[in-house]
Amino acid sequence: MKVTVDMSLCQDHGQCAIAAPAVFQMDENSKLVYEGEFDDALLAEVEEAADVCPVQAIFIGV
Amino acid sequence: MTVLPTYDGPSLDLADLPYFPVSDPSFSVQSDMVRAARESGWCARTPYGLAVIRYDEVNRLIKDRRLRQGSWAWPAHNGVTGRFADWWSGWLLNLEGEDHARLRRLLNPAFSPKTLAALSPQFTALADELIDNFAATGHCEYVSQFAEPYAARVIAILLGLPQDEWSRIAEYSTTIGLALGVTFAQELPRIEEALDNLFAYGDEIIADRRAHPKDDFATRLVQAQRDDDAMSDQELKDALALLIFGGFDTTRNQLGLAMQTFLQHPDQWKLLAANPALGGPAVEEVMRVNPTVTWVTREALVDFDFQGLSIEAGTTIHLFSESAGTDPRAMDNPEFDITVTGRPPHFGFGGGAHHCLGHFVARSDMSVALPLLAQRLTDPRIDGEASWMPLSGNTGPNSLPISFTPGA
Repeated sequence: MKVTVDMSLCQDHGQCAIAAPAVFQMDENSKLVYEGEFDDALLAEVEEAADVCPVQAIFIGV
Repeated sequence: MTVLPTYDGPSLDLADLPYFPVSDPSFSVQSDMVRAARESGWCARTPYGLAVIRYDEVNRLIKDRRLRQGSWAWPAHNGVTGRFADWWSGWLLNLEGEDHARLRRLLNPAFSPKTLAALSPQFTALADELIDNFAATGHCEYVSQFAEPYAARVIAILLGLPQDEWSRIAEYSTTIGLALGVTFAQELPRIEEALDNLFAYGDEIIADRRAHPKDDFATRLVQAQRDDDAMSDQELKDALALLIFGGFDTTRNQLGLAMQTFLQHPDQWKLLAANPALGGPAVEEVMRVNPTVTWVTREALVDFDFQGLSIEAGTTIHLFSESAGTDPRAMDNPEFDITVTGRPPHFGFGGGAHHCLGHFVARSDMSVALPLLAQRLTDPRIDGEASWMPLSGNTGPNSLPISFTPGA
C-alpha cells in the first residue's frame, strides 16, 4: 500500500515514527524520512500514525 | 539525509547574554525585559540554564533530538526530593526513547480524532449546562463556575468516569498543578497529599473496571494491560494519574486565559459569537498569544553548537512559547486576530516526541466552549478582584469574576 506525507504541513514532530517505526523515521537532523510503500501487514500501524499526526499530514492510498 | 541551513552569524558568549530571573514569582514571560531581549538576540540566561525567545530557534530546538524533555530536573531545580520527585521521574512526560514510545502507543487510541469526534456533542451539552447555571444572573466567577467544572467533566467524559465525581478530579489536580509553578517547594506537603489522593482514586477506578468492565477508556486501559502484559501496575496507575492531571489543569488554565484575552479584545468576542466556526481558529490564536504552558523545557543530551552558542550537555533550556508565538520575525502582524489564516504553528502544545498527547481533546473541547460562551456571555468585563498565578511556568487565573449581558 501507499502512504504520502504532505511535507508542506509536516512539522517533524515525529509522532508517526513512534506509532509506525517500520515506515516512518526521524533522521539525524530530526527531520522525517519515510517509505512511500509499505506492506499490507503494517496497515494498522500506519493508520495509527495518520491518526496521531498532530497536523494530520499523513494520507494513506492504495 | 536532509540538509540544515548553516549559521554564519557571530559566536555568542554565555556571559554576555541577558539574564531572566525566571524563578522569581514577579518575573513575567511577557515583560519588557523579554521583549527587549528578543530584539537583541534569540536567547537569554536563566537560573536554570537558557531561555529561547525567538520563533525560529524555538521551532528547531523543540524537535531537536540532541535534546531530551527537560522537566525531569524540575524537582531538583526546586530542591525537592521524595515521593513527588520519584513519581515525576517515572511519568510519561519524563520518559524517553522506547519506554516513552511504548506507553505512548498504548495511550494513543483514546486520543484519536475519530474517538473525539463522537464526543463533541457531549462537550456542547456540558458547556450549555454549566452556562445555564449562572447565565440569568449576568455574573459568574468564571474559573470555579465554568473553566474548572468544564475541564474536569471533559476528563470524566473521556475516561468514562461518573460526572458527579468531577470535584475530586478538580481538587487533586489543581493542587498537584502547583508543582508546575515557581512556588513549587513551599507547596510540597499539599502537593504530595493531593498526589496520594489522586493515586487512591486511580486505584478505585482500576479495581472497579477489573470487576465491572464497561465500554469506556478506563476499561480499555485496564484490558490493554491485561492483554499485552505491556504495562506494569505502576505504569497503569501513573498513566491514569497523568491523564487526569495533565488534561484537567492545562485545560482549566487555558480556558481562563482565553477569557482574559477576549476581555482585552471585545471586538474579537463579537466576531466569535457571530461566527461559531471561528471556534477552532480562536483556540489557536489564544494559545499563540496567551498559552498556559509559557515555557517548554528541554535538556541538552550532548555538547553542541547552535546559532553561535556552545551549549553544554546537561543544560536546561526553556523554550518560551508565547515569546516565539508573538515574534514579529515569524508573524507579519502578531496582534491577536482570530480571522487571520496561514500563521505558522504555535508551541502551546509543545512539540516533537513529547507533543501534547491530548491536544485533539483540548482543541475539540475549547473550540466548542468558546463560541457558546461568546454567544451567551455578551459584553463580558471583569467585575471584582481577579487572582492570577505568576506569568511563568504553567500559568492562568485562580479566579476571574466577570459580569456580562446574557445572550440568546
